[in-house]
Amino acid sequence: MDTLVRIEDVSKIYPRVHKSRERLQAFVSLLFGREPAQGAKVLSNINLEVVRGQSLGIIGENGAGKSTLLKVLTGVIQPTSGRVMVHAKIAAMLELGAGFQPDFSGMDNVRMKASLMGLSSRELDERLDDILEFADIGDYIHEPVKHYSSGMVVRLGFAVITACRPDLLITDEVLAVGDESFQKKCIRWIQQYLEQGGTLLLVSHSMYVVQKLCQKALWVHDGGIEQCGDVFSVTQAYLAWHEKRNAKEKEKQIKATGDGAYYRIENFRLASEGDDKPPKFAMGDNLDIELEIYSPDDRPPVGVVGVIRADGTPVYGVVSDNEAVAPLKLADHYYRFRLRFTGVALLPGSYNLSAHSMDPEGMRVFDNRQMAFVITGDTKEVGYIRLPHEWMDQTSE
Amino acid sequence: MSKPVRVKIDWVFFKNLVVRQIRQDYLENVTGFSWLILQPLLLLAVYAFVFSTIFKARIPEAADIGFVPYLAVAFWPWTAFSEAILKASNSITANGALIGKVAFATEQIPLATVTATFIMHMIGYMAVLIVLQLMGTSIHWVYLLLVLPVILLMWVLACSIALLTSAIQVFVRDLAQILPPLITFWFFTTPILYSSSYLPESLQTLTQWNPMAWFIARFRELLLFGEANFDYKALLMVLFVMVFAWVSLRFFRRFSGHFEDFL
Repeated sequence: MDTLVRIEDVSKIYPRVHKSRERLQAFVSLLFGREPAQGAKVLSNINLEVVRGQSLGIIGENGAGKSTLLKVLTGVIQPTSGRVMVHAKIAAMLELGAGFQPDFSGMDNVRMKASLMGLSSRELDERLDDILEFADIGDYIHEPVKHYSSGMVVRLGFAVITACRPDLLITDEVLAVGDESFQKKCIRWIQQYLEQGGTLLLVSHSMYVVQKLCQKALWVHDGGIEQCGDVFSVTQAYLAWHEKRNAKEKEKQIKATGDGAYYRIENFRLASEGDDKPPKFAMGDNLDIELEIYSPDDRPPVGVVGVIRADGTPVYGVVSDNEAVAPLKLADHYYRFRLRFTGVALLPGSYNLSAHSMDPEGMRVFDNRQMAFVITGDTKEVGYIRLPHEWMDQTSE
Repeated sequence: MSKPVRVKIDWVFFKNLVVRQIRQDYLENVTGFSWLILQPLLLLAVYAFVFSTIFKARIPEAADIGFVPYLAVAFWPWTAFSEAILKASNSITANGALIGKVAFATEQIPLATVTATFIMHMIGYMAVLIVLQLMGTSIHWVYLLLVLPVILLMWVLACSIALLTSAIQVFVRDLAQILPPLITFWFFTTPILYSSSYLPESLQTLTQWNPMAWFIARFRELLLFGEANFDYKALLMVLFVMVFAWVSLRFFRRFSGHFEDFL
C-alpha cells in the first residue's frame, strides 16, 4: 500500500512562552540545539499511518489535541519528539482564509493562496473559472476580502483547494461555517474526490459528516489515541463516552446534597399514625408535611414538595414562592414550611414524597430528600389520582 | 529532536509576496504607484534646501559636484538598506497568522520584504539620478552596469541581516525597540552625510570594517567620479557577504520550525 503520511511516536510539548525571560531562555536553548523549557504536553506518543485512498475522520473533545495533530502532520509545527514522514502533495485547510490578506480583493487572494498551495500561474489561469464557479460569490470576487462574510471566505478558500487536486486533503472543522447548500456542495466534492482515489483527513465534531465521508475514525483523547478503526464503531464508542460523562456530571450535581448543600434540608417529616415503614395512609386522609431548611445567609429559602409514583412518574409538585408562601423562621438560619395535602386523592399504591430546597430567588435546587409512603384503599379506578367527578343523573330528561 | 519537514522556496509564491508587499505600501494612496517616484524627488528637494541653503554644506574633494548629488547618490541605497531591515525584522511576527496555518518556507517572508523594499527604492533611485542629471550633475551612466552587482551584493547583506533580526524578534520582542536606534547609529557612523576624509585617522581605519562604508564609497566613485576601484577588498567583501548569508540562513532555519510555538 502507498503510504502518504507516517508519524512515529510523535509527541508535542508546547514550550513555555509567557514571560519574556522564558522566551529568551528558549531562544538560547534553540540556538545551541537544545529543546526549550517545556510546558503543556498536547500530544504523547502518537503513531499513525495514512495510506492512499483512505479517508480518516479525527474526533475528540475540545482540547484533545486534534488540531495540534493536524499541524504536526502538515508541518506547520515541529513535533518535540518522534518522526513525521510525508510523501504527498498536501492541501490543508486548518482555518478558513488562512493566508488571506483582508485589504486585497478576492481575486488577488486567490492568486496568492494558489501559489502558496504550489499552483503555477499557468495552472491557475486554466482553473480560475472553475474556482470562481465553485466559490459562487459573484462580483464580490473584486471586493476586498475584509468585506466578506465568514461564509464567503470559506467558499473562496475551499474553491482554491478544489483547484489544487491534492494527494491528501486535510480540513479542520471548516465546513461548519458555510450555509446548508454550500456544505452539501463541499461534501459532494469531497465524495467525488474520494471516489477518484483522493485521501482525506477530516476533523469534525459532526458525527454525521464523519460517518458520511470517512471509512475510518481516530478518536483522540488527552493527546493520545483512544481508539482507531471502523468509523461506526469508533464514533459510537465516542458518543457513548460522552453520554457517560454527562451522566457522571449530573450525578455529581445530585451528590452535592446533605451537609455539602448550601441551602440544605434539615428535616423532612410526614406525620403518620402507627409505625409502619413506609407509612400507610388511606385514600382521603390528610398528608401533613414539615420541611425545615437551613439558610446559610439567613434569607428565607424556597421549598418544593412533590409526589412521585414509585416508578418515577411525577404526579404533582408545588413550589412555595409560586404561591407566595414564606417559611416560618424557627431560629437564626432555620426556616420551616408546613404543608397539608387535604383529603389526598391519590389512588392506592406506592409513592415517594419528594422535597427540594432552593435559594431565595427560586433559581437553583440545592438539596433534595425523598420519603416513601403507601396509599391504601379498595378501588377499581385506574391511574394515579382521583379527579373529582360526578356521573350525571339522566332520568329526568 | 526530530528532523523538520523542509519546504522549498516557491518562486511564484515569492513573487506574489513581493508584489503584495509593494502594493500594500501604496494601496491606500490616491495616486498609487506614482508616489514611488514622487516621494524620493520631494525628499531630494528637501535635502537640497536644508543642506545647500541652510547648512551650506560642502565636501572639499567634491566641490565641483556639489553636496546634494554627493549625498543623494549614497543616501538612497542606504534608505533601501535600512528600511528593508527594519521592515523585515517585524515581518515574521506580522505574518503570524499565516505561519500558524500553512506550511511553507518561512524565510520567504523576510526575504520578500527586503526585496520589495529594494525594488521600490531603486525605482526612486533611478528617478533621483535622472533629475540630478537634468539639474546639471554629470552621472556616469555606463557605470550603472557595475552599480547593479554592488546593489545586488548589498541586497544579499540586507537579506542576511533581516533573516537574523526577524528570527530573533519572534523570541525577543524588545528588538523592535532596540533596532531603530542601532540603525540610526550605523547611519551616522557611515560616511553618508560626510566624507570619510573628515574623520580622524583612528576612526578612518575603523570605518574600513564597516561594510556599508565600502558600498557607499563604490556608489559615489562609480556614478559621480566614473572610477571603478575594485581591488582585493571587493573580493573580500563578496566572500564576507556570502559566508554571512550562509550563516544567517542556517541561523534562521534553526529557529523557523519553532516560530509557531512562540508567535
